[in-house]
Amino acid sequence: MSELDTIVAPATPVGRSALAVVRIDGPLSGQILATLSGSLPEERKAAFTRIRQGGEPIDECVAIFYKAPRSFTGNDLVELMLHGSPVIIERVIVAARQLGARIAEPGEFTERAVLNGKLDLVQAESIADLVDARTSLQAKLSLLNVEGRLSRTCASIRESLLHVISRLEAALDFSEEGYEFITRADARMRLEAALAEIRAVADTYERGRATRAGITAVILGQPNAGKSTLLNTLVGSERAIVTPIPGTTRDIVRETIEIGGLPMTFLDTAGLREHADLVEEIGIRRARDASRSADIVLYLIDATRGADAYDEAEIAALAGRHVVVVQTKRDLAASSGLAISAATGEGMRELIAHLDAIVRERFAVPEASPSIVNERQRAAVAECESGLSAALDSIAGNADEQFIVVDLYRAANALGTLTGAVSRDDVLREIFSKFCIGK
Amino acid sequence: MTTDAARCFTWNMSSQFDIIVIGGGHAGAEAARVCARGGARVAMITMMRDAIGRMSCNPAIGGLAKGNLVKEIDALGGLMGEAADRAGIQFKVLNRSKGPAVQGPRAQCDKEIYSRAVQDILAAESNITFVESAVQALLFGSSALTGLRLTDGTELRARATIVTTGTFLRALMHSGEVKTAGGRFGEPSAETLSDSLRAAGLELGRLKTGTPPRIERTSVDFSLLTEARGDAEPRAFSILTDRIALPQVLCHVTYTGAFAHELIRANLHRAPMYSGQIRATGPRYCPSIEDKVVRFADKDRHQIFVEPEGLDHPWLYMNGISTSLPADVQDALVHSLPGFAHARIGRYGYAVEYDFVNPQQLDATLQVRGVAGLFLAGQINGTSGYEEAAAQGLMAGINALQYVRGGDPVVLRRDEAYAGVMIDDLVTLGTEEPYRMFTSRAEHRLLLGCDSVYERLTPIAESLGIVDDERRRRAESRVTRMHRAKTLALETSLTPDRATQEWMGAAGFELTAKTSVAKLVQRAEFHVEHFLAVAAPAFPALTSALTALSAEELEGVTSALRYSGYIERQQREASRSAGDEQTRLSAEMSYALPGLSREVVEKLSSVRPSSLGQASRIPGMTPAAIAILRMHLRRKSAETPAEHAPV
Repeated sequence: MSELDTIVAPATPVGRSALAVVRIDGPLSGQILATLSGSLPEERKAAFTRIRQGGEPIDECVAIFYKAPRSFTGNDLVELMLHGSPVIIERVIVAARQLGARIAEPGEFTERAVLNGKLDLVQAESIADLVDARTSLQAKLSLLNVEGRLSRTCASIRESLLHVISRLEAALDFSEEGYEFITRADARMRLEAALAEIRAVADTYERGRATRAGITAVILGQPNAGKSTLLNTLVGSERAIVTPIPGTTRDIVRETIEIGGLPMTFLDTAGLREHADLVEEIGIRRARDASRSADIVLYLIDATRGADAYDEAEIAALAGRHVVVVQTKRDLAASSGLAISAATGEGMRELIAHLDAIVRERFAVPEASPSIVNERQRAAVAECESGLSAALDSIAGNADEQFIVVDLYRAANALGTLTGAVSRDDVLREIFSKFCIGK
Repeated sequence: MTTDAARCFTWNMSSQFDIIVIGGGHAGAEAARVCARGGARVAMITMMRDAIGRMSCNPAIGGLAKGNLVKEIDALGGLMGEAADRAGIQFKVLNRSKGPAVQGPRAQCDKEIYSRAVQDILAAESNITFVESAVQALLFGSSALTGLRLTDGTELRARATIVTTGTFLRALMHSGEVKTAGGRFGEPSAETLSDSLRAAGLELGRLKTGTPPRIERTSVDFSLLTEARGDAEPRAFSILTDRIALPQVLCHVTYTGAFAHELIRANLHRAPMYSGQIRATGPRYCPSIEDKVVRFADKDRHQIFVEPEGLDHPWLYMNGISTSLPADVQDALVHSLPGFAHARIGRYGYAVEYDFVNPQQLDATLQVRGVAGLFLAGQINGTSGYEEAAAQGLMAGINALQYVRGGDPVVLRRDEAYAGVMIDDLVTLGTEEPYRMFTSRAEHRLLLGCDSVYERLTPIAESLGIVDDERRRRAESRVTRMHRAKTLALETSLTPDRATQEWMGAAGFELTAKTSVAKLVQRAEFHVEHFLAVAAPAFPALTSALTALSAEELEGVTSALRYSGYIERQQREASRSAGDEQTRLSAEMSYALPGLSREVVEKLSSVRPSSLGQASRIPGMTPAAIAILRMHLRRKSAETPAEHAPV
């Protein structure tokens, strides 16, 4: 029998702060708390206590003891809210180690929660996302997944697959019973509904990725179109060097601000022109590379000069990217469409509103929906989608049940890799609970 | 008892066998036969020699998934298919309209002829000694089973013992309020063997099964029943059978109705399952009629197949109304059925309650973990059905033989045989109700069709030396014939020139681009007879290869071509999981690994999976726990490469 060991680690970043939390997890955690504080507080009740080591006081703190299995990890768990001094934290951890705990590996508390079935993999991943969240929308979406929204959605899709699979299986294994277990039309309808649902989940990946990683917007345009000025205006400081000399910006300058609830990173680039020196040439190549991987391209046109054939060719080359054409220096010349003046601030509010709308429409996950946020989840959802499409093709081709279910199991197992697999006995259980199989 | 036994065998106290088989049912018969074929000296101990091979319940062999088991048994050199062919009086391939992998051959059998056929087949094996007695106790040495003691005190020694006692362990029959000790009507129960199994450290549970009333055939008005016919061309189970000899008969169908359901509801308190007299678990898929009426109250009728127990047998088997209600209720129930108003019951239905061994205590060779030489097979392992029992008997026999000869264990993979799926399910999942084979239990079902059984399994049996020459010859030539036809179909291409288009058009095939015959087969409008009728002049080799096939073989070849896309996909899936299946876990492995929860460690320690693949199928195993196991094995194999050698 494996004896679970006891682990200890600070749960908050080490540094000076008002409060800091230390977690101790495992069978010895209660005993360690009792030794350090002189008594074990009532389960799940915050207790004010003094922590001592060898009679010498370390700190006053609030301690909570969670008894297994009613804790985050499913084991006996202690949380100590101490004063946020690195010295105190260090001494508490040393004391816990002397009493039998070891330092936890990164992520080990969450891993224990997964192993004890307190969290599934999706929820565990979402906790990491929640902790890493940089904006409030990110935090909100991660929290939805922690609460199991993605898991629940997948489980409900899997449930409807199980419904269809079990009835198709019954038609194979109990064909002599004189039932029609499911009509083809009903099966098709349910699978089409499931496919629509899983596609909606799949769509959240691009959005989900944006939620996690943020959005990049590249600022392109000819030299002196006002790219660096725009960047500086957006971030509110002289981040990029601005001069009237064309070709001042050579390398890419990045700054991130929050737009539409997500972090948007703006990339100021070298102005595009044909006859540039070697260094500028490299900068222009980098600008074009960046525009290829960017989510949004802001293409600036100097309103005092207007768009020329060169601009039109550059914009045409960006076909397929999300391009926002912006006229600059509107205070100096007549302009149309989205137009700004960084100097007077005219049009900036409209530009930001426009970007905000794009983010909300194209990149942000609707607040109530589940989202997939990493490659592992994306692959599973894609596999499910492909299995469902193939099964629907088999139904359309009037194939036997045994061939339809091949792909349905593939789809169901793919969802299972997100939350837990379908067992063959689930299928039989569903059949026997719904039909009188008598012979 | 000893005097009867002495007729066939005279022993002294030091009598020595290689292998003892306890029980002469479907599991015991296969086990004894295969061990004898392998050259072992075998003793079969049975309480009644006449009861060897008896069909205790329904008079049929095969069916969906079960028919595949019978074919697998035949391919491995077992006897069930041969016996069923000799006794079959109505053959039918179920799921005929569906693809080949889920088709299940089934035969109504004459019960008397069937058990006689089994007895004849066993009698032909000179290595089998029949001992008509009951077993008092198993005898254990320091580390292994050494033999057993009969009820008269005689001790028999053997290196391996296979227990196939069916429903006979501490068996109790219920008919209404009446309880009788016994495993089958008119046959005694085995009372003391359970204690020996407990002494071997095994935990026993209780299961129940039931059987319907038998009706006197002459008392039924068949004009009121619906006829159920078999196939016009009976298809044999065994590759050794050239033709079905017995005349073929009709079966019938009738239904329960509102009166019967009302009657049952009014008498539920007198049914042992409902009065609490039986606490054991029965099968969900073959519920008693009282179960059906309660659980599916919305159904206004239940189907009953009326099956003759034999050509001249006076009784009909009422398939679908197994029951333990008292006699007066059974009478009224039967009389309410259309055609049965004046029917006489030949034997009342009853339920049997019996001890079984949770099969998680066995390893994949069906040997008891920790007791070398003790093998269990059949209903004692919590299964139901003749075919399930026979397949286990055969595999336990093969492994007992290997154990005695010092050979490698033989474990069929899940993508290799239904028998492999069943045994893996049993030893991995255990069972809480009588386990029955279903095609849906096999994740690689498309690879397990009857058409490929000789290709998959006969070579294995051949390497073990348990296949007779005739079976081997027939299997080889069948596989070669089918392979040749398939290869030619893949290699023969059709060019859309005018001549080809002309003769193909005459047979209803349109040809617009170059294609192979194999691709042509995949078209919905392809009919092999139409093709054969016109293709001979153009493709003499292919058409002669196809016409050399039997109807069954031709179906096998065309469906292998037609469904090749799906089949290849399943093959890929099976080979993807092969890595985990081949990653062995040693029987002594300690699961006290950091990160594994107590629950997971308990499960692994109790099932003791032989591979990582098996471990992943244990109920309640998490993907995370499997990842930890895999990491541990990788680390360990890096430390000691020698231990990673395949078993």
